[in-house]
Amino acid sequence: MVNIVFKFFIAISCLLIFRGLLAEPLLDGADFDYGEYLSGQCLTCHRNSSDEGIPAINGAEALYIAKKLILYKNKELENEVMQLVAGALDEEQIASLAIYFNSLEK
Amino acid sequence: MNNLSRRSFVSFALASTSLLAMPAISTGSARPKVVVVGGGAGGATAARYIAKDSKGAIDVTLIEASKHYYTCFYSNLYLGGFRDYDSIGHSYDNLSANHGVNVVHDWAISVDSSARKVRLGSGATVSYDRLVLSPGIDIKYDSIDGYSVEAQTKMPHAWKSGTQVKVLRDQVLNMPKGGTFAMVPPPNPYRCPPGPYERISMVAHILKEKNPTAKIVVIDPKNKFSKQGLFMAGWEKHYPGMVEWIDNDTHGGIKNVNPETMEIETDLDTFKADVACVVPAQRAGAIAMNAGVTDGDWSPIVPASMQTKADGNIYVLGDASVASAMPKSGFSANSQAKVAANHIRGELTDSRVFPAKFSNTCWSLVATNDGIKVGANYKAGEEKIEVVDKFVSKTDEGNAKRKKTYEESIGWYNGITTDMFS
Ligand SMILES: Cc1cc2nc3c(=O)[nH]c(=O)nc-3n(C[C@H](O)[C@H](O)[C@H](O)COP(=O)(O)OP(=O)(O)OC[C@H]3O[C@@H](n4cnc5c(N)ncnc54)[C@H](O)[C@@H]3O)c2cc1C
Repeated sequence: MVNIVFKFFIAISCLLIFRGLLAEPLLDGADFDYGEYLSGQCLTCHRNSSDEGIPAINGAEALYIAKKLILYKNKELENEVMQLVAGALDEEQIASLAIYFNSLEK
Repeated sequence: MNNLSRRSFVSFALASTSLLAMPAISTGSARPKVVVVGGGAGGATAARYIAKDSKGAIDVTLIEASKHYYTCFYSNLYLGGFRDYDSIGHSYDNLSANHGVNVVHDWAISVDSSARKVRLGSGATVSYDRLVLSPGIDIKYDSIDGYSVEAQTKMPHAWKSGTQVKVLRDQVLNMPKGGTFAMVPPPNPYRCPPGPYERISMVAHILKEKNPTAKIVVIDPKNKFSKQGLFMAGWEKHYPGMVEWIDNDTHGGIKNVNPETMEIETDLDTFKADVACVVPAQRAGAIAMNAGVTDGDWSPIVPASMQTKADGNIYVLGDASVASAMPKSGFSANSQAKVAANHIRGELTDSRVFPAKFSNTCWSLVATNDGIKVGANYKAGEEKIEVVDKFVSKTDEGNAKRKKTYEESIGWYNGITTDMFS
């Protein structure tokens, strides 16, 4: 487990350095209440109990969620629905969603 | 209740505060009260979010006529044999058990907006600080000559939650060999723009297997329809030669239907069917009309909050509202419910109100593992809900992608029904 977490952080750090985002931490400006409100849009499709068809995201690492949303926003990950949703999110909204979903129980 | 009994009820209620024959439903608390009429995609979501997010600070009552909600979404997949009927039915038990929503199974008969009270079929009244109406659609039976409430069993519309879709499935399964299935889709605006064409696909799917010489004729009051290129390419690919779609300009208009002879008369021709699905024009559920918040057939709303333009204490969600660019879909209703829930909490408990964000995606199944989708997100403009961005499946995408889209729709179905009922 520790190993996985460690690898995860290495991966994220590489990504951040690579994208030159270190100066602009992904979770800056996160607002929990805003995240709770915005999560409504995600919960039409994502649910906690199953990954069938659409992945469960509750309790995922905040940085992981933020990173994924940015990749969808930049259309570097495929899926029209996610590109659409993420495309309409600004940095504050992405950070807010990331910390909100991270706070939910898996 | 006639006038006399209503009057005697009022005097009786005034005379007796402790023993009421038809009590006003009340939890006896000083908490602000929200009443939600209609426990479908919009109403169940709104009730759940207001109760859940206010953490008990708001007293939420949900008035819903039926004990179980059978989703119209995925009812076409039931028709095609991809789902069993029970799998599209949902109970309201969790809304009360998990979130403290008072679920009352009754009809809301009328709204007194100046006294802020809703009268129920039982005669009881429920008072509100804010009222949410999400009653879905009523069918305009008189919009097609010859169609009527009685005609529904012969020519089912199966466009509202309930068992008509079972009748339709039986009729399709028992259709004579080489017979004709006729579909009359509704005119705009109507619930679920791609729905009639998904239904045609599902009927074709059954017929291909069980009755391959049968034909499908679509007599459309429109000249184009949602995801048209995708559906038509899908029909040609999976059911070649089976489906004939006739647009309004070609048939010249539907003059009448005859459920006895199973005929559909147009300017061009009279079509005789063995099985016919006739979906008339629609309007907002009657309670929205009664509440005085409609203009014509639907309720105009303020995009930022989903409050009606007519009465700031009354919100209308889903199919019954004029949501401009947003289609009348379960996804849209669910999305609008969250905007309204956030606004209502803000008004009643001073919680923070965030800018409205709406989205919708409609998945449709064309054949086994051939899913397509169309979606958009929206923002609240001054007057209208406006499109921000949109997408639609491509005609040339591969089979693997189509299968993935179908699987995604299963995820969505489970997601939205969890979001409404868990
Ligand atoms: C064949 C078909 C396929 C569809 N497929 C999809 C799909 O794939 N995706 C999608 O997003 N949408 C789909 N839809 C559309 C979707 O079903 C509707 O848009 C959605 O249900 C609208 O939600 P609503 O809350 O406005 O109304 P509804 O979900 O219809 O809910 C209204 C509820 O209010 C109750 N009610 C009404 N009046 C009263 C009253 N006076 N008192 C008490 N209770 C009352 C009714 O019993 C009902 O339960 C489909 C529809 C059809 C017909």
